[in-house]
Amino acid sequence: MRLVIDYKKCLKSGQCSYLHSELITAGADGTPRVIIEQIEEHLRDAAEDAVDLCPSGAIALREDVEK
Amino acid sequence: MADTPTLSLEQLRGDLATFLANPYPTYSEMRDQSPVQMEFIPGGIVPGLDEPIKAWALMKYNDVYSALRDHDTFSSARNPFVEKGFFPQLVLIMDDPPRHTRFRRLVNKAFTLRRVESLEPWITSVANELLDEVGSEETDIVQSYTIPLPVRVIARLMGIPGDDFTTFKRWSDTFISSLISIPLEERMQNTMEMAEYFGKIAAARRTQGAEDLITALVEAEIDGESLQDWEILGFCILLLIAGNETTTNLVGNMLNILIDRPELWQRLREDRNLVEPVIEETLRYESPVQQLQRTTTRDVTISGVTIPANDLVAVFFGAANRDPQEFPNAEEFRLDCDLRNHVSFGAGIHYCLGAPLARAEAKITLNAFLDRFPIIEHGRTPALRQTQSPVVFGFERLPLVLRAKGH
Repeated sequence: MRLVIDYKKCLKSGQCSYLHSELITAGADGTPRVIIEQIEEHLRDAAEDAVDLCPSGAIALREDVEK
Repeated sequence: MADTPTLSLEQLRGDLATFLANPYPTYSEMRDQSPVQMEFIPGGIVPGLDEPIKAWALMKYNDVYSALRDHDTFSSARNPFVEKGFFPQLVLIMDDPPRHTRFRRLVNKAFTLRRVESLEPWITSVANELLDEVGSEETDIVQSYTIPLPVRVIARLMGIPGDDFTTFKRWSDTFISSLISIPLEERMQNTMEMAEYFGKIAAARRTQGAEDLITALVEAEIDGESLQDWEILGFCILLLIAGNETTTNLVGNMLNILIDRPELWQRLREDRNLVEPVIEETLRYESPVQQLQRTTTRDVTISGVTIPANDLVAVFFGAANRDPQEFPNAEEFRLDCDLRNHVSFGAGIHYCLGAPLARAEAKITLNAFLDRFPIIEHGRTPALRQTQSPVVFGFERLPLVLRAKGH
């Protein structure tokens, strides 16, 4: 699974980087960035929580698509 | 630094009530000078508080945004009103990490966007029940709709039984009304009653759970740790304060903006894609929460001014949202710009927990009004802005005439 941020929806609330700093960090202007994109099993719960807590619904867990 | 000039809001606007009814001209005069120290609460207004309380006003968008995101320098836990015994220490909004982090993790789950979306059908039914009772005669929409909607939603979310609803409303009113209008003893008495009531409900939900927030709170666990009774009470009080009047003001401000723009009302009726932009622009243009306070934990330089450690800082969301450096044509209500950057819900770790719920209530309201009323107009009785609280911006009275189809 891949953790992704939809920047069109992101309102830079800062909740993801605050509560899941192991997965997401925020730049000086508040824009979040995923630091671990490939979500292994042991990070699955944390990633799902990050998806859930975003107040703007901007974070998603996607199935990997082989290129 | 003893000679730092202190601005008084009365000096700028003549009197405090005029400022509170429309703070925007003052913001535009003061913004360039900010940060500037001002008399936050003049002496002698609050019973028992003789000395004025001063605060540094932050009014530029960049300063406000930076302060909100720098929670190490700008503490929420330290508050002079709490230290002087004028206000109870609220959970979350008066917490810093690590306590804030633990608590926020626990309560986030009750307020996720997904959970709010699942509540939308019953919020819609509450909205429609309230509107069914509004006739085609003039109505004060504050009393008939914008107050009852969020109170009912929060009460139902919390699991307050219908019979207790009136008491709940009275507690809520007493608690959120200004420090000025209700004596301290009455507020304390009120808080004790509330504590006892929520204590009983929490105990009952521990024995038998229900589909409500208090059950979620008594059952919530992180790393094997659960919430204590006082924390649950604290959270219930927070919901009363943060969840009711704010939404009342958002909805009232939005309706008022639209009454004055009949062309926009017609466009909205034809194109509901504009509903969400209208809500976001309302939030920016007339922020329901105008300011909150922080206390500095160290000396900090902002826009060239050094604010010493341990000083109170008033972070003005309302002023930041009209900063022309951030928002071109900031003094106009416009839908043709980036609507995402307002700070009406704050930013960073304290970002409003209820933002998805507030947005949902505003969206449901606007859609319900658009469905029912081809025309909305001001009533004959003049509207009246609230002038009691320096924190919020909204209407005490907003008389409307709602013209339903076929009238």
